[in-house]
Amino acid sequence: MRESIGLYLHFPFCRRRCYYCSFVSTENREQDIPVYLECLKREISNHSGRFHLKSIYFGGGTPSLMTAGQFAELFDCIGQAFTIDKQAEITVEMNPGMLTSGYMEDLRNCGVNRLSIGVQSLNDDELGLLGRLHTASEALAAFRTACRSGFDNINMDLIYGLPGQGIETWEKTLNLAASLGPRHLSLYCLSLEATAILAGQIEAGILPPLDPDMAAGQYELAEAMLDGYGYRHYEISNWAKPGYECRHNLSCWLMEPYLGLGVAASSYLEKHRRTNVACLDEYIYLVCSGAAMLIETDEETGCDLQLAEAVILALRLENGADIARFNREYGIDLLKHYSCQISELVDLGLLSRKENSLSLTPKGRLLGNEVFWRFLPEQPS
Amino acid sequence: MDQKSIRNFCIIAHIDHGKSTLADRLIELTGTLRKDKIIQQVMDSMDLERERGITIKAKAVRLGYHSGAGELFRLNLIDTPGHVDFSYEVSRTLVACEGAVLVIDATQGIQAQTLANIYIAMEHNLEVIPVINKIDLPGSEPEHVMKEIETVLGYKSSEVLLISAKTGQGVSELIEAIVNRVPPPAGRSDLPLRALIFDSHYDDYKGVIAYIRVVDGVMETGAKLRLMGQGTHLEVLELGYFAPGPTPEDRLEAGEVGYIATGLKSVKECRVGDTITLASGGARQPLIGYELPKPMVFAGIYPTQADEYADLREAIEKLNLNDASLTFEPESSPILGQGFRCGFLGLLHLDIVVERLEREFGLSLVVTVPGVKFMVTKTNGERLAVTSPVDFPEPTEIQKTEEPWVGISIITPSGFIGALMDVMQEYEGAYKHTEYLGQITVMGEESQRVRLEYEMPLRSMLTTFYDSLKSRSRGYASLDHEFLGYREARLVKLDVMVNELKVDAFSRIIPPEKAHDTGKSVVSKLKEVIPRQLFKVPIQAAVGSRIVAREDISARRKDVLAKCYGGDITRKRKLLEKQKEGKKKMKMIGRVEVPKEAFLEIMKLG
Repeated sequence: MRESIGLYLHFPFCRRRCYYCSFVSTENREQDIPVYLECLKREISNHSGRFHLKSIYFGGGTPSLMTAGQFAELFDCIGQAFTIDKQAEITVEMNPGMLTSGYMEDLRNCGVNRLSIGVQSLNDDELGLLGRLHTASEALAAFRTACRSGFDNINMDLIYGLPGQGIETWEKTLNLAASLGPRHLSLYCLSLEATAILAGQIEAGILPPLDPDMAAGQYELAEAMLDGYGYRHYEISNWAKPGYECRHNLSCWLMEPYLGLGVAASSYLEKHRRTNVACLDEYIYLVCSGAAMLIETDEETGCDLQLAEAVILALRLENGADIARFNREYGIDLLKHYSCQISELVDLGLLSRKENSLSLTPKGRLLGNEVFWRFLPEQPS
Repeated sequence: MDQKSIRNFCIIAHIDHGKSTLADRLIELTGTLRKDKIIQQVMDSMDLERERGITIKAKAVRLGYHSGAGELFRLNLIDTPGHVDFSYEVSRTLVACEGAVLVIDATQGIQAQTLANIYIAMEHNLEVIPVINKIDLPGSEPEHVMKEIETVLGYKSSEVLLISAKTGQGVSELIEAIVNRVPPPAGRSDLPLRALIFDSHYDDYKGVIAYIRVVDGVMETGAKLRLMGQGTHLEVLELGYFAPGPTPEDRLEAGEVGYIATGLKSVKECRVGDTITLASGGARQPLIGYELPKPMVFAGIYPTQADEYADLREAIEKLNLNDASLTFEPESSPILGQGFRCGFLGLLHLDIVVERLEREFGLSLVVTVPGVKFMVTKTNGERLAVTSPVDFPEPTEIQKTEEPWVGISIITPSGFIGALMDVMQEYEGAYKHTEYLGQITVMGEESQRVRLEYEMPLRSMLTTFYDSLKSRSRGYASLDHEFLGYREARLVKLDVMVNELKVDAFSRIIPPEKAHDTGKSVVSKLKEVIPRQLFKVPIQAAVGSRIVAREDISARRKDVLAKCYGGDITRKRKLLEKQKEGKKKMKMIGRVEVPKEAFLEIMKLG
């Protein structure tokens, strides 16, 4: 019997690196796409026969840099190696600005049934600041084209908490986006690692520093507005119309197994968290030389760590940690096991204890880290 | 050896004027050690130290010297501590000598501590041989310095020697001068024993080793002895001198310098400045008034983690075996838990002790704001010695407060007089006197040098005073101070509340007119160093019930990982683990997490 899992495929190419990005992606390497896809196919074939796919997620980078033909070949390969559920959710991330209806229809014909569009903002100044290669009107056009091409399940990514961004421009972007009625919205607070271009500009005083208080206000505004538009706030950074929650990600938050393929992709299988090498050249070299292992890190998660991760991930969800589920899967009574942490967090107003579950309060959603770290097991010193 | 052939002397100098280099050169030139052996010998001692766990301090070296006239002399060079915090020790060292070599840097001229040292030397009738050192340096101005010595110290230029301790130039002449000008010791071997303790240290194997100068009588191995000041009884287990390694001998006669191993368990039983005599049939009069070291500066020392209290106690007790001037008593703070209120000779002494506790004993410490000992007379007539702000009475209970004052001597190029007068005013200094010294070149320009005399509360000196003095004079001003006595003062206690909780570690005693400014700088510094909490935290400074400054640390509103998908989980978990570890390094003040650095920052504010 094949194990049911989600499949993540990483596509590390971008036309240009965004100013806030510190993900594994590479600009000016598009000539390497065919070789990379060959490698990815080989890696897929290595896992042949083991899995049944409930969801497929193409992330990046910018997967929409692949041609429709390349997609089709990749899907052929996936279809040969795995069985794919009839109801499988198949998502492709894409950026506005280069999408034609013909291309989108081709994707649909490959089996893609969900699009995630990196809109980020509907304000051209902000898009410039972020180093995006598209305008607000191109983003709107991309959404409309996607709808016309028959896509019903569309997500928009938006970013708030930009340096110098007030509440008003965020409200405008959000209003405009929600009024288009995408089934799903992911709202991310800008967070910068030291290597991001924006971090350097803030460091140099060219841009004002990030303002966590403003971001908190923007988040609260989003919660109120999107509720009015009929979205459910089902995860800390994710909103969806009922029934359109991202199933691929939900399964990660519920500690279900997934396989990640491609450079820097992560897997969670048999209680092991593994991550492939992060360097594109090294990945290609390893695959081409027939190496069996592309893995850079491999961590077997012990019982206490699995439990901690399970609680932390579950608490990200609106429904929180289901007490019956933890009893069933981990054999513990959450309320007893974490009684100290829970009573402290309830006192702090960060956690709410209901009859059958434990979940973050609205304040707790903004201060999630203060909740999460308390559930980590003691480090062996 | 004949007493007439002995010369006991020390080297006195302002810091960095070349005392140690000169000592090395004297050892080398007298042939006590060959040049290539100096390093070697020191290394051998260190190995011994490791093997046997004993500490050998060459505090007094015996040098053999054949004079130009062919006579054999025995020179005893006695080391002096270099810092003003240890002026009591310096004065006791000088008492053990008949002469002093006064070293003055040819590039810097007379400095504040040069004067302080020479005054002590004159007080004890020492023969002083002034030398101008570093004449080999390109920036040296021996003529100017010579003039300064003539006018300020009153020596004739024919009495002053020009040397370079580094190259050895003029050092042979200096040794001749020591032999010819320093008088031989005057004591008598036929009188009952009197020997002065001028230093001591604790050795794990032999107990306390005392460094002594025999003034009268004879010291012999096995002798039963008594300390006249402290009344301690002891037996000489071993006796000898340093050359420069410890060299046992059977006896030390009047005029000699050496060491005795006592078997005593702590240097507290065998303090510097005491006079040793025979247990029976001893002398009647001690050599010099013996004083207990007086701690001048007090601070609380606490472990960052409460469970390290026992380790801290053990560490302080161990340090105290070798440092009799460190005082300590247990103290408990509602915020910091169990710790010690410690007394120090000065700020440098405090720094040394804290650094040794942290480095040698691996402790993590919180040190409270250093203060002085106040004498408070309460309205009910009760008199209190207050060394911790916690014990400072309420304003209504105080009839009179007295605090220690110090005399300050600053030597500076005249161009900085204005700036330094401002500094002194800021720190409550009272002007006494200005004295003009010689000329010196400062940054390529001829400059008059002056000595400013002030008096100020010691309390004021414990703040950022020294840093201000150095920065406003661009490092040119040198400073010396001496204790004057207690004077009446108008003072109040400034309390600091973090989230409504009074934090004794942040309290300080200040003049009422400074309450507002000091309060403001303390609360803004705390606002800067305490991270935002999950709730609003008011930081207040108050005198009694009157709030003089307030800042609020607003509640942290957002702290959450926005993205956490399949690919991020391990990395995000590591971030959370780091956050968790960080919490452990915090000191809790009520519900508020305060980083250890906050205490340091507030201490630095003074």
